[in-house]
Amino acid sequence: MFETSAPLVERRQVAREVFVLGFEAPEVAEAALPGQFVNLLLRPGPLLRRPFSVYRAAESRVEIVLRAVGVGTAQLLSLELGDRVSVLGPLGHGFAIDPGWRSLALVSGGLGVAPMPITAAAARRAGVEVIWVHGARTAADLCTEWEGERAAWATDDGSQGSRGSAVAAVPEGVDGVFACGPNPMLAAIAERWPDAQVAVETYMGCGTGVCLGCAVPKRAGGYDRACSEGPVYRAADVDWPALPGHLHYAVGV
Amino acid sequence: MIELEVDLGGLRLKGPVLAASGTFGYGTEVPLLDRSKLAGMVSKGIFLRPRTGTPPARIVETPSGMLNAIGLQGPGVDALIRDYAPLWASWAFPVFVNLNAESIEEYGELTARLDGVPGVAGFEVNISCPNVDQGGMYFGNDPVAAGRVTAAVRRRTKLPVWVKLTPMVTDIGVVARSVEAEGADALCAVNTFVGMSIDLNSRRPRLANRTGGLSGPAIRPLAVHLAHQAARAVRIPVVGVGGIVSAEDALEFLVAGCAAVQVGTATFIDGGAIARVHDGIAAYLASNGFESLEELPRYLPRD
Ligand SMILES: Cc1cc2nc3c(=O)[nH]c(=O)nc-3n(C[C@H](O)[C@H](O)[C@H](O)COP(=O)(O)OP(=O)(O)OC[C@H]3O[C@@H](n4cnc5c(N)ncnc54)[C@H](O)[C@@H]3O)c2cc1C
Ligand SMILES: Cc1cc2nc3c(=O)[nH]c(=O)nc-3n(C[C@H](O)[C@H](O)[C@H](O)COP(=O)(O)O)c2cc1C
Ligand code: FES
Repeated sequence: MFETSAPLVERRQVAREVFVLGFEAPEVAEAALPGQFVNLLLRPGPLLRRPFSVYRAAESRVEIVLRAVGVGTAQLLSLELGDRVSVLGPLGHGFAIDPGWRSLALVSGGLGVAPMPITAAAARRAGVEVIWVHGARTAADLCTEWEGERAAWATDDGSQGSRGSAVAAVPEGVDGVFACGPNPMLAAIAERWPDAQVAVETYMGCGTGVCLGCAVPKRAGGYDRACSEGPVYRAADVDWPALPGHLHYAVGV
Repeated sequence: MIELEVDLGGLRLKGPVLAASGTFGYGTEVPLLDRSKLAGMVSKGIFLRPRTGTPPARIVETPSGMLNAIGLQGPGVDALIRDYAPLWASWAFPVFVNLNAESIEEYGELTARLDGVPGVAGFEVNISCPNVDQGGMYFGNDPVAAGRVTAAVRRRTKLPVWVKLTPMVTDIGVVARSVEAEGADALCAVNTFVGMSIDLNSRRPRLANRTGGLSGPAIRPLAVHLAHQAARAVRIPVVGVGGIVSAEDALEFLVAGCAAVQVGTATFIDGGAIARVHDGIAAYLASNGFESLEELPRYLPRD
């Protein structure tokens, strides 16, 4: 785990109101694994750090993807190239790719696309075929960047790809399923693929396992820390009805 | 070299900055801190038995602060003795255990279990717990109950006993004196303030627990005042807690009559906060011509 004052070096739009930001943070980029996250501090800015999945990590650069949903995200999107933020990471336990798999579906809804590019790259390096499945409300909200052997798109209004949710667009017969998106989508994943690995979202106080604020209710009882044991879980291990799905800024589809 | 050693009711600490309960876990979780600057730590609050804690959402950010309702999630005293105390025994700073219970007997039993365990340097009694025997009223709001809890812990140990005061009282001096009279070695002021935040989309409280404890810079002036009031009321040392982020924040508590301070929420944002505060206090003393923390003039008119 590293903490570094990192300048913004890249900013590009990938969907309506959605941007990728790249920060120069060599140690973090080097260490980041699929499904891990970074915790960003803005000064001046809101009191607490803000967690973001690592979107890509390459050539000393850590990328994240976001939309403005509150004070912190709005401030991040107003940064100029060269402005610095404190990057803490990489944090958490991410996706575990089984090199024995022939194919892996990466299923995302909306900003749930965030951990998928770094994961796709790692899976392909391990010789696993990647099927990219991505859904959003409408064509303009779909992330224009993708990585894999094949892709399937889904939109609520049918403006691109199949009409309906990304979950329904996953082809039969894949060996592995990784998913990220709104909690109701992940609950639907758990119904169909209990062994799927899903990245959940909670409020976080510290991101490092200290505050116990990021509780994820488990089917077996008790709570885990999303920042430490998570944020990636076996889908059937999470007690979905007890996990708040109502974050209003919800990183939504 | 500025001398930052502190005498806290007979206990020598190598500096004035401690880690506050619930913000430093069991001492193994906080990253990137130069621990040579840490004067001591207080463990996450422990009960006799394991507790699962409250359902999420457990935290919410508020202007310059945060509300938390963790519900004292913890593994119980047996796991603490088995998994953490042996580590603490080899550390270069003292570890205090934050004691929590729902009856006076339970506070006593918990103390007896921990007294003499290698690695346990002393106790910080959290009296912001609901008193189940008295209909869930908080021990800390009632000077008599607070005194009884202190006596129950005191009777079972010769180690230092600190009592952590709640700010949710009309006159903190009354509780402070009652706790002092029952044998506390020091007071910690203060715990979090009870607060509430409403989500206007769901029109429900943001915390599943409805209310939570407010911490962070938002409470600092309130905490400085309460720590000062407590320090005026008693002869035993007071440890100031509440909203400290910088050395200047800590120095406000020290000048207002505190012997030492604890840093809490700031550690969530910056694992190295305690070391920064420690170094900044030394720098302030040096640039103002003092050679030790003891020389720092205090503003403490006595009641
Ligand atoms: C492990 C993890 C990975 C994430 N990855 C991404 C990502 O790649 N892209 C992205 O856009 N968003 C991501 N999020 C959500 C993102 O952290 C929040 O949208 C962001 O913190 C909101 O900050 P704000 O100041 O704009 O909102 P505010 O509403 O002003 O934030 C208030 C408080 O709530 C917390 N908070 C608000 N929304 C969320 C949320 N959805 N999840 C957790 N905490 C929240 C903030 O940290 C802060 O403490 C992730 C969250 C987690 C836990
Ligand atoms: C997440 C969290 C958990 C806490 N847990 C405890 C606890 O178990 N026992 C206790 O006495 N105080 C607990 N506290 C209170 C702190 O020790 C401290 O008194 C308070 O947060 C004010 O200091 P701060 O503003 O520096 O955080 C907790 C605070 C926070 C934020
Ligand atoms: S965010 Fe603090 S323990 Fe997970």
